Amino acid sequence: MKNVSLYKIPIAYMLVYVVFILSTGIWLFLLSQGLNSSDGVMSTIMSIVNSPEPKSVHNFIEVAAPHMFAIGAMVFVVSHFMLFSTKILQKTSLIVSMLLFIFALLNIFSYSAITFGFLVSGWIKLLSISIFILLFLLMLLMVAVSL
Amino acid sequence: MKFLVTKDLAHSKLLAYLMGSVVIAVLIYLVLDVVLHSYVVGSDIASIKSTLFGNTETFEEPILIDSLLLQVHIDFFMTLFALLILSSIYIRLYSKTSVMKVVVHTLFLFGLFAPVFLLMAYFWSEIFVYMWIVSFMLWHLMAFVLSLIIFKRLNFR
Repeated sequence: MKNVSLYKIPIAYMLVYVVFILSTGIWLFLLSQGLNSSDGVMSTIMSIVNSPEPKSVHNFIEVAAPHMFAIGAMVFVVSHFMLFSTKILQKTSLIVSMLLFIFALLNIFSYSAITFGFLVSGWIKLLSISIFILLFLLMLLMVAVSL
Repeated sequence: MKFLVTKDLAHSKLLAYLMGSVVIAVLIYLVLDVVLHSYVVGSDIASIKSTLFGNTETFEEPILIDSLLLQVHIDFFMTLFALLILSSIYIRLYSKTSVMKVVVHTLFLFGLFAPVFLLMAYFWSEIFVYMWIVSFMLWHLMAFVLSLIIFKRLNFR
């Protein structure tokens, strides 16, 4: 980062907060898929693949609307710090941040395929959420390296 | 945040008014957040304990983990954004003071610990209820005072 050493403090804390937001988000998703009543995380994941919990359009919109704003804002805020990076190429930052936005959209809208009956299996939701989380962790790592 | 760092805007009247307005919004948010948590979690020790652990005398069930976790998830997000805004303006205005780093570290740490303590209280022990109250009130109070200090330093002329 260029001449903004004091701003490293809130940026560093932001990385920690985002990890907590992602962790509680995954936990909430697994709870909504029956984590409490099943045997464990693996059996919940298997049940998502085989028979994801049914969601009404109302439930889907209720989750999708705040997440569109929150994930969009969070990805933008985290990614924009890469503008200051002198250690990572702007092109790399651009690719990762665009992929992050694409998988965020896919992650949010993947459940609509199940809600509207296009898909019976929840594999697309699992795949999109996994790639989104991995990409976000990569972006956090890139910001951390740039500090 | 990039714009707040730019030195060319040091005497911008527009930026001063914008920062003043966002600080007012954060001030109102801080007050309303305390009110919201008093509704969701409780406004005194007895009601907080009833919410988290239930009450056998009044046949009250403990709060569902889904509801509590959703509140904690939202808390992390809102706290992050409120503190990012406040700390970036504070660093801009008070970068030469020695206590600045301590204030920013303390604010972010209490803001982070508050929701964590709430979950720990739910799963482990009543002692974390007190730790949640202390950290929650302290970060709100500190952020409130910080907002007032920021407001005082803004040059509206």
